[in-house]
Amino acid sequence: MAHLAHYKEAHPLPFVITHWINLIAMVVLILSGFLIHFPFLPFLMGIARGCHIFFGFVLFINCVVRVVMAFFVKSAPTGGTRQQVTDFKTWLPQKDNRHQAGAWITYYLFLKKEHPLGAKLGVPQKISYLLIPILILIMFWTGLCLWGVTMNVPCFLATTNLVGGLMSMRIIHYFMMYVFICFMFIHVYLANVEGFEPTKLMFAHKEHGGLVYDPDLHNIVGEDRDVH
Amino acid sequence: MENQATMSEFDSILSSRGVSRRSFMKLCAGIAAAAGLSQLAVPRVAQALEESVIGATSGNLYPVIWIEGASCTGCTESFAQVETPDVASVVLDLISLNYSETLSAAAGHSVEEAKAQTIAAGNYILIYEGAVLEAFDGNALRVAGETGITALVEAAESANAVVAIGSCAVNGGWMAAHPNPAQALGVQQYLEKVGVTTPVVNVPGCPVNPEWVMSVLVDVVVLKDMDLLLNRLNEFNMPGDLFTQTVHDNCERRGHFENGEFVYEFGSKEEEMGYCLYPLGCKGPQTRSQCGVTLWNDRRSWCVQSGAPCIGCCEAKPSDPGDNWVEVNTPFYKRMRNLRIGDFEFQPTTIAVAVTGLLAACLVVHGFGMKISGRMDGGAPFEKIRKWDSKHPEQEIGTYADPVKGGPVESEDLVHKNADPRKKN
Amino acid sequence: MTRSVIDPITRIEGHLRVEMEVDNGVVADAWVSGGCFRGMELVVQGRTPEDAAQIVERICGVCPISHAHASSIAGDKAYGITISNNARIIRNLLEGAQFLHSNILWLYNLAALDYVNPLNALNANVAEAYAVAQENNLALHSDLYQLYDKLAAFAANGQLSIFSGNWFDADNGEAYKLTPELDLILTSHYLEALKMQARASQMSALLGGKMPHIMTSIPGGNMWVPTESKLDDLLAMATEVRDWVNDTVLADTVALAGPYADALTWGKGCGRYIAWGVFEGNGWPYGDNYIEQMKNRYLPMGVLDEQFGVSDVEEHLITEYMGHSWYKGDETYTSPYFITDADYTDYNVDDRYSWVKCPAYDGKPMEAGSMARIFAAYVRGVPFIKENVDAVLGILGAQPGDLSAFQSTLGRTAIRQVETMYVADLMVEWVTELAEAIKGGDSEYFREPERTTGEGTGFWEAPRGALYHSEKVVDGKIEGYQIIIPSTWNLAPMNAEGVHGPLEQALIGIPVADIEKPINALRTVHSFDPCTACAVHVTERGTGKSFETVTSPWGVK
Repeated sequence: MAHLAHYKEAHPLPFVITHWINLIAMVVLILSGFLIHFPFLPFLMGIARGCHIFFGFVLFINCVVRVVMAFFVKSAPTGGTRQQVTDFKTWLPQKDNRHQAGAWITYYLFLKKEHPLGAKLGVPQKISYLLIPILILIMFWTGLCLWGVTMNVPCFLATTNLVGGLMSMRIIHYFMMYVFICFMFIHVYLANVEGFEPTKLMFAHKEHGGLVYDPDLHNIVGEDRDVH
Repeated sequence: MENQATMSEFDSILSSRGVSRRSFMKLCAGIAAAAGLSQLAVPRVAQALEESVIGATSGNLYPVIWIEGASCTGCTESFAQVETPDVASVVLDLISLNYSETLSAAAGHSVEEAKAQTIAAGNYILIYEGAVLEAFDGNALRVAGETGITALVEAAESANAVVAIGSCAVNGGWMAAHPNPAQALGVQQYLEKVGVTTPVVNVPGCPVNPEWVMSVLVDVVVLKDMDLLLNRLNEFNMPGDLFTQTVHDNCERRGHFENGEFVYEFGSKEEEMGYCLYPLGCKGPQTRSQCGVTLWNDRRSWCVQSGAPCIGCCEAKPSDPGDNWVEVNTPFYKRMRNLRIGDFEFQPTTIAVAVTGLLAACLVVHGFGMKISGRMDGGAPFEKIRKWDSKHPEQEIGTYADPVKGGPVESEDLVHKNADPRKKN
Repeated sequence: MTRSVIDPITRIEGHLRVEMEVDNGVVADAWVSGGCFRGMELVVQGRTPEDAAQIVERICGVCPISHAHASSIAGDKAYGITISNNARIIRNLLEGAQFLHSNILWLYNLAALDYVNPLNALNANVAEAYAVAQENNLALHSDLYQLYDKLAAFAANGQLSIFSGNWFDADNGEAYKLTPELDLILTSHYLEALKMQARASQMSALLGGKMPHIMTSIPGGNMWVPTESKLDDLLAMATEVRDWVNDTVLADTVALAGPYADALTWGKGCGRYIAWGVFEGNGWPYGDNYIEQMKNRYLPMGVLDEQFGVSDVEEHLITEYMGHSWYKGDETYTSPYFITDADYTDYNVDDRYSWVKCPAYDGKPMEAGSMARIFAAYVRGVPFIKENVDAVLGILGAQPGDLSAFQSTLGRTAIRQVETMYVADLMVEWVTELAEAIKGGDSEYFREPERTTGEGTGFWEAPRGALYHSEKVVDGKIEGYQIIIPSTWNLAPMNAEGVHGPLEQALIGIPVADIEKPINALRTVHSFDPCTACAVHVTERGTGKSFETVTSPWGVK
């Protein structure tokens, strides 16, 4: 019965926008991908392929923009504070998380009763989020290896040959989609399992009060009851 | 004058057989030729025969040795279907096919001698059909009392180029499919292994399309420029103009794919309308070949035109027999290949859905756990202190009310510092 | 006693070695060795019956359609499917197109060069050749003058191409007996045949996408759907091939029979025949009565003893023995439970000498092929066959009904023309039948499986004889697959009792004047139209232990 306050500073507006774009692009890509792979709504084939290619680029460009912004935009390093640091620092190992990986795992396995102290992103979370840009890159790359327009560009052709041809490439691209689906399941679950406040903040910038955390002391310092 | 008499005698025969005016005119020239050339030609042949079993070692025809390795003869058969030019013209007017297990008039040691003489004379190309078999020290294929691999190496060493035709010759073909009992592999890989450096030209397909073989021969035999051929080759030593675009790129049914008009059942109404075979597992999108452009059997038809999805028979990576077209494309009538762990085979979708499903189930179970443990609403209370910190009070990361027992540092100032919107940095 | 060896035998499909003991100019003993092992049945293991139909046709590039069909029939039976009537006709058309292709190619482009010397045609008087053709009723579709020019230009160049190392001078120049004029005419047919076999294959391509290795026949029926324009193309090609066949093949064979009459006196073989039957009959469907289905085929099933007594096939009488082949053990296995473990030892005619196994029916070697089919059809009373076989017997100077007159090298070569003409006629008939069926509103070409677990056997015929595919399917995947190929019957090595295989028996007793170029042996081998590409394969019991050793990651022992 305790969580850190949810302040806008954790997710500045640019990141809210890129998050929205990520969501839309991924959902459209997965749906259109399925429609292409299993043409059960045949009349949508043309649209599905167009969308798939378009949103493939959207997702990739959005990913690049988001990564670049990390070096210019500031965000809160932990929940429960309005203090901000340049965003990419929250990607690096943070002092708040040091030695806490075991705590997180045991907590989620119900072996530990108390919620671990940590930064905005817990240890498993941070690792998985860091993988996302890499996943997007792989997905984009394998997609271009399969797309007729780019498949014979030497770098893509070489990749295709490396993995053993177009069939293998297709299967890799297909498997990667399931990795995304799995990620989304876990992400959505973990973000909301302790209440919908994080979602409200991420999508609608709606704040919520809670415990206040000081990133310098790396500890909770009180409670904010002003924000509801 | 004698000839004229013969001609008139023949008028009735010709007309009764429907010989055309054109060939009748030809007849006149032919008679002259019969009188002149035959006397020249016959002794020429006789003389050539005395000199060697292959006749002259040079002439207008490019010497070719055609070896069948572990083959089904399908590529020879396919080549025999070529119509432009027809196969007779090829072997009489373009190439001197000195060794062919299917077409040679000779047999036994004399055909082997023809091969030996051709190799000794040099300046020939070797066409190799069928897989190279390594099982039982190469005895899985025995020809003329020796192993097939010996014959390949002998003929390849002195050749100007080796043309590996058909997917079997490129990387073992179906023979290399699991479990590859005869230890099949492709010509290029085998020659590299034994250190033969003759350039290899790979022309996959099951069987090879005769027009593709001709297109290779045109460079060497008609244009007489080996570099033309070698410059055409892509990273797999296949003619790039033939094996870069996919079947899908040039498919006559591509329009229906774009429109989303598909055949879902063999022999159906949709098939009659020529819709796209994609849902039936057509491997056109991932198979690189020009089938839809070249067509087969004197451009009569091709797989997709006859209502059959592409099964990807041109898929062949020369350096890897495991990447043979059967292994890569079975089941033929499903979108993706089966994956294999030992003898256990499964579709990618099966394993992917299984893993995803398992994960979802775990999350649901976990969710119940969270509910039961009362963490759903805001989570569990925070720990008072990091475990590590409590054990290392002098090195601890956080600042706590008590360095060992922990607990929040209650401070109104710090709350303001962190929570007050005006205070934000 | 001298040894005479022909290795490789050319103008066949695949790799074959013949070794003979020659005594006073006559073959006293013979051993036939198939030279290649590829392991087809192991490759289809674990794959679907549909995939298997596509893969197994890669056994042979000359008769892929027969393998596709035998496999499809086995699949149909395992799946519990009775194919639609239209699919039956289309399969017949595909098979027929291949028979025409194969028979034409074999007679002219593979076998004819044992009898015809194209280089001798250069000595011909072309004008005389026209007269000879006219006199002997031989077909004249080509301009012989043009051909002569072509040959002359070829000869003037001096390179021998496919005639390199030829045997035209065998038997001290006595082996090739045709006049230069006849050589010229038959050379023209050799070249026409190259076009005609291609034309026949174009029919296969129209129906199956490409040939070799058609794409459309799989268990359940056929993927090809006719349209008016395709039917029209098919009819035109069928008619063209039929007209050429009727004009050419029989007359040519008769022209050979005179000069080569001695070839009617040797090369008999084992004198027992098997034919599983081919081209499903028009009383379709036959339900579960497989024997009735096979007996009603256009070329019906029949097992013939030495006296041409006919009986129906019984699957359990088929056995395989491998004591003289390069496989482990020397047991005899009963169909469909064969077991095989490839194990090359050494080439030794006193022990093991072939990759071909030794099949037997009721314990005896059997000959398969066109002759077996025609005999079976004759005995079963197929009208066209009866009429034409009797006519050919008349030409050979034998009594009507005296089938033994064919039991020789040349007889085996000649009787095949009756089949070629029969199939050529049927092709035109079937196109019409299909058109009528469609007109009658039948538009069914493919049926889905009734079940996914079952067993099925495809008794069928390839152009070169009886073909057997058998498969066990569990949950849509193959657990056991067996193939017995026609040439396995014909090229069999000795059986356990030391009785030679049919081709070996046929070779024993033939005259060999020149052991360097035993042309009569070559003629006899070609009369069987052997196909070792398909004769050598490995069968195994789905769960057998031997399978383990072959698939061991450390390779084959």
